[in-house]
Amino acid sequence: MKYQSQKVAYLFFATSLLLLCLQLVYGFILGFAHMGFDVLHDWIPFNTARATHTNLLVVWLLCGFMGSAYWVIPDESERELVSVKWAVIQWASFVVVGVIALAGFHMNWWEGRKFLEIPRPLDYFVVINVLLFLGLIGATAWKGKRFTTTGITLIIGLVSAALLYLPGMIHFDNQVFDSYFRWWVVHLWVEGVWELIMGALLSYLLIKLTGVDREVIEKWLYVIVGITFLSGILGTGHHYYYIGAPEYWLMIGGIFSALEPLAFLGMAIFAMAMSRKGGRKHPNRIALRWTLGCAVLSFVGAGFLGMAHTLPQVNLWTHGTLVTAMHGHLAFWGAYAMIVFAMIMYVMPQMTGRNLYNGWLPEWAFLLSNIGMIAMTGAFAVAGIAQVYLERKVGMDFLDVQESIEVHFLGLVLAAVLFTAGILMFVWNFVQFGIPQNDVLTSDDEEGVYAEATA
Amino acid sequence: MLSKSSARLFFIGGTTFFSLTFLALTWDTVSQVPERSNAHEMNESVTRGHDIWNDNNCMGCHTILGEGAYYAPELTKVVERRGEPWIRVFLKDPQAMFPGRRKMVQYNFTEDQITDLIEFFKWIQNIDANGFPPEPDLAPKVQNAMVSDPSVAGATSGTAHVMPEMMKTICISCHAVGGKGGKVGPALDDVAQRYSRTELDRWLADPQGVKPGTGMPDLKLSDEVRRELVEYLLNLNGGGNQ
Repeated sequence: MKYQSQKVAYLFFATSLLLLCLQLVYGFILGFAHMGFDVLHDWIPFNTARATHTNLLVVWLLCGFMGSAYWVIPDESERELVSVKWAVIQWASFVVVGVIALAGFHMNWWEGRKFLEIPRPLDYFVVINVLLFLGLIGATAWKGKRFTTTGITLIIGLVSAALLYLPGMIHFDNQVFDSYFRWWVVHLWVEGVWELIMGALLSYLLIKLTGVDREVIEKWLYVIVGITFLSGILGTGHHYYYIGAPEYWLMIGGIFSALEPLAFLGMAIFAMAMSRKGGRKHPNRIALRWTLGCAVLSFVGAGFLGMAHTLPQVNLWTHGTLVTAMHGHLAFWGAYAMIVFAMIMYVMPQMTGRNLYNGWLPEWAFLLSNIGMIAMTGAFAVAGIAQVYLERKVGMDFLDVQESIEVHFLGLVLAAVLFTAGILMFVWNFVQFGIPQNDVLTSDDEEGVYAEATA
Repeated sequence: MLSKSSARLFFIGGTTFFSLTFLALTWDTVSQVPERSNAHEMNESVTRGHDIWNDNNCMGCHTILGEGAYYAPELTKVVERRGEPWIRVFLKDPQAMFPGRRKMVQYNFTEDQITDLIEFFKWIQNIDANGFPPEPDLAPKVQNAMVSDPSVAGATSGTAHVMPEMMKTICISCHAVGGKGGKVGPALDDVAQRYSRTELDRWLADPQGVKPGTGMPDLKLSDEVRRELVEYLLNLNGGGNQ
């Protein structure tokens, strides 16, 4: 840690992990309901649990991104944050808005718009909060000593994410328009600007962990985010096939979504190549493992499994089935959850001065959570494909089909237990690190850390 | 070898080009959607129905135009599939229709709200959604592959009376006649042999009064519809013995 103000990231990371744990609880409620055990129906019906589950995901990931930005930006621009006090205020208000939104879902206060269930009055608070965040980050970078591609890409990603939230706040009476512009937020976030954030964090971590020259890494960062937008912007078309938009989206969406895996494949190859190229060994191997794992699984989950049902001929049958849940789980885990985890594992030793990256705990956290999530994806795939054939192809009644695939949700819940065990280990590891210390002002950039590893 | 500045140019140039293309396509889509979605048919009732749909997060369980959650049925063509009377009865007490199965929240909608929702669904089902939801294309093959059961075929053809509208839209979702229909309640083919006209009439008028705790919903049938149903049921001559 070079700058004292970077410590504010700790608040965001801790909140992030807490919200993740809560997300898992709601995931189990959903899984059990699909198995036929909807005992909580009278208090937490499925739509409440579902909105809570997905919104917790969005909130904890954003929280992780914000924490990462508060860490990376001072480091990249070589100065302290402009104000730690306001960063703490921003954190607190973010938590307050989040808690109100989640409590509202339990009292039928929401909008029935998938992923954007937060009611409009609260949207305005989200906007104020994000403006404050961007102001702090932007001012720090502006006053900084140096402008790096990594830092600028991260900021462009964060600013675009904020701007793209706005189309989701417009009210439309026509369901088709409502859906059309809702995807501007959801798709252009996860398959567009969030990839900028992910790409920037990936390149930051690779610069720090592999010791490869910044110029080389940042050049490829440009290429990868270039491919992301080349495919991802018109790739939005794969959400427009069957919602009432014109037919040409079938062709445009089909072609450009077929290119989308390229960006993720690029990221995977890039990360692997850089880690091989970097001859020096950083002692924090587990952070590098999360970084590489992120690059590889984002290709599998977001790139490959997305492509598996994104062609219009396939999507006609799989649209609106559990196949989407299959792709969604591994995509979010691989691309976004793992990059936050990688950041946390990289940052914590420096913030606390404790090198708790060795030993069985972080190893098993990595293994169990990944095996668990891959197994969950498998369970969703089997349930989803069975649903597509029985309900959509053969025309069986919806509830009869759902009852016949209940058993796959037993598989899902068992896999989720493994996943949860991994996550709890990660959280325990995080707790063991303790809180940030004042006296550990060192930098990872210096040769010292590599010398120590090779010694 | 690619330099950093040309990589930057690729990023900025590509992003600008594809963003502008996307905006142009959006412009075109926005001009086409009103016609494709029959926007002129969106009366106040449809809009109110849409608000009810949003305010209760129906998408948190159902899908519409394939979007939402995967816990409850896809509703784009629900009026075509179930018919208006069925939806009306169902929404008043969702659990009564499917006792012991997956639950829907009891929203206690008023008659007017149910009308608005139905109007919303009627509007939705006419949107040109490029062929979604598709017809089940394997269904005919599955039916051909099954050995036909002569007794079942006989039961339907032997039925003297035409099936009343109520029977086709509502009763059949839980009860089977001639091997077709739901399995929630008992099959009705031999109901005439088990119950008299008076018994059937009392049962349909007040299921809870006859058998407290039964899953059979009180459908609040008019006298005329009830007479029609009883007449039809008494004329079903039970299974294969025509």
